[in-house]
Amino acid sequence: MTKFTRIAAAAALGAMVGQAAMAEGLSTPNLAYRTGPFAATGIPLMNGQADYMAMLNARDGGIGGIPIDFFECETGYSTEKGVECYEKTKSNAIVSQPWSTGITLQVLPKTNVDQIPILASGYGFSPMADGKVFHWAFNTPLSYWDGASIILKYIKEMGDLSGKKVAFLHLDHPFGKEPLPYLEMKAESEGFELLPIPVGLKEMQNQSAQWLQVRRERPDYVIMWGWGAMNAGAITEAVKTKFPMDKMLGVWWSGHDADLRLVGEDGKGYKSVSWSFPNSDAPVMADVKKLVVDAGKSQTSPEEMDGVFYSRGLVISAILAEGITVAQEHAGKPDISPADLRWGLENLNLTQARLDELGLSGMVPPFSTSCANHTGHSGGWILEWDGAKFVKASDLIMPESEAISELETAKAREYAEANAPWPVNEDCQM
Amino acid sequence: MLNDIFIKPFIDMVEAPDFLLQVLWEGLVSGILYALIALGFVLIFRSSRIFNFAQGIMVVFAALTLVGLHAMGVPAWICVILTLGVMFLLAVTIERVVLRPLVGQPDIILFMATIGITLFLIGLGEIIFGGENKVMITEELGIPTDSVVLEPWGGLLILEQKDITAVIVAALLVVALLLFLNKTRMGRAIRALGDDHQAALSVGISLQQIWVLVWFIAGIIALVTGIAWGARAGVSFALEVIAYKALPVLMLGGLESITGAIIGGLLIGMMEKLFEIYWGQPLLGGNTETWFAFVLALIVLLFRPQGLFGERIIERV
Repeated sequence: MTKFTRIAAAAALGAMVGQAAMAEGLSTPNLAYRTGPFAATGIPLMNGQADYMAMLNARDGGIGGIPIDFFECETGYSTEKGVECYEKTKSNAIVSQPWSTGITLQVLPKTNVDQIPILASGYGFSPMADGKVFHWAFNTPLSYWDGASIILKYIKEMGDLSGKKVAFLHLDHPFGKEPLPYLEMKAESEGFELLPIPVGLKEMQNQSAQWLQVRRERPDYVIMWGWGAMNAGAITEAVKTKFPMDKMLGVWWSGHDADLRLVGEDGKGYKSVSWSFPNSDAPVMADVKKLVVDAGKSQTSPEEMDGVFYSRGLVISAILAEGITVAQEHAGKPDISPADLRWGLENLNLTQARLDELGLSGMVPPFSTSCANHTGHSGGWILEWDGAKFVKASDLIMPESEAISELETAKAREYAEANAPWPVNEDCQM
Repeated sequence: MLNDIFIKPFIDMVEAPDFLLQVLWEGLVSGILYALIALGFVLIFRSSRIFNFAQGIMVVFAALTLVGLHAMGVPAWICVILTLGVMFLLAVTIERVVLRPLVGQPDIILFMATIGITLFLIGLGEIIFGGENKVMITEELGIPTDSVVLEPWGGLLILEQKDITAVIVAALLVVALLLFLNKTRMGRAIRALGDDHQAALSVGISLQQIWVLVWFIAGIIALVTGIAWGARAGVSFALEVIAYKALPVLMLGGLESITGAIIGGLLIGMMEKLFEIYWGQPLLGGNTETWFAFVLALIVLLFRPQGLFGERIIERV
């Protein structure tokens, strides 16, 4: 055996041992995107998720005494790569986090076959809220239709929507189109004119045509469903067009500190709905800082820790961790199966007292789930850019449950019929 | 319907001439930026017959280097000089490590090599600079950021000073490039290589030197493009996507023609904007910019397969 062969064999053995060691614990893959056009928004989210799990491993030895094997598969936000990652990581996984509405829609039918829950916190297909139809899919704590509803409610607080013109500036992608059914329904019932303005992937950084349309149509409000470079592109064009910032409201993925820093003071007044909020004084932040960031186990920077997206990533992992805890208690064992975790995610009860106990005070509103309600509909805050950071501009606003629930049921049924035979959860009697 | 297609758009143009001017201005700015990216492709293709897939990532890499150096406390204009140095080193490295060993290989091999360069630069850029969105050092470079507001025919025309700067700098760069290619010895050598490789080599033109030079010039163009685009919406890996906007420009203008790249860029920039505003948005729901330029280029290719300014190649067998 030559020297080179020996080194190669040792390296291969080392890698195998490493893999075996990695495979111990609860396998919770994350289909991350730290590269590509959406990396700027993906990185702080992925850092927050990874740091929370690392903190639990360091502080508590994992969850219920079993370590968490949290690892990433890079998708670059590409749907094709995301599906590959799902297939590659599903073998021992107790959950999959697809991280894009496009990937979520692709893997949704597979969940019934693979029987692995997918956790799409604050994204994905809104009717996934109907747990009777989407047995294995969760979009806690808020769906896109909830987000659109909160934005419209906030706008209504400023005056009647009837006769108004509302532009809907959105990424021309499944994510961007997701709230359209709800907005179209509301435009009809509230009597406002909805003006959808799509932005192509190649046009994200040069939205002059879209903003010329805004200038010509003179909408009363612009609702933005943007992601990645689209957010910065839109906000800079809004500033250039002199569109009043306080009339522009975005979804929670359009409320990234780094995007607003590009325009700084000029972006003052811009608003974004959010189901999470950074709280540097929360006990969980101190634990993450001490056990993960200061210990050199994190990829995050100290400035990023105060951002909206980092704290949201952290909250997403906290929701998953709580699902695992509930599942372990129910199953009576720490080494749970995907089906056990599904039960756990269906029986979340994150009351304010429980959030305080977890050290997450003020970072996410209380919510609970059930076998029929896979979202939780937690409600959200309106955040406002003050020129340097996002601050809360409203109390907690709840989405209009009744209208959304009816639409969810109808669209979920439509989906099941279009994809027949689609198994439904007949055990759920709620 | 016929009214919406053939009459109404023109009535709208006449009724709001200030808006039409704004549309044309935005199209001109986009067009000149498309032309800049296309120029990078054309220069390398002319001298080496390589379709440089890495042009887009070179824009990102140059912009990231500039912003990254400034974040380390280096003064803005020193950053520009250092970034040019980095782009020169990159050109030398690409020539030595990638191109020189592949001399004489089929074109497709060289094209694949540029895909390799793209992937390498993405990885290297992410390791060094991270994937976060960064703010372009527009003001530090002395680029004005205010707007000029005009009121033609009692209407409104907003011209961003950074767009005006981009147009002027791009125009100066193109003039300098044309002078270099037509009036200097090295420039003529690049053109000679583009015309006939074998003949150029036989009169003593150094392939290695020329390749380093054209990749360096493509690097300079990438830096200017990166500054101009980065000033609009920040510097991130999303900038790479804009390279795809140069493809229809190349199809329209011809892969070998500098004039074609410039006129093709301007034509596409202005026509796609006009079409989107007056036909795309009212009749097709918008976002026609994603495909309009390709359709326009395809129509041109039907009648002139070599593009508007490309050379017609006749091969006798």
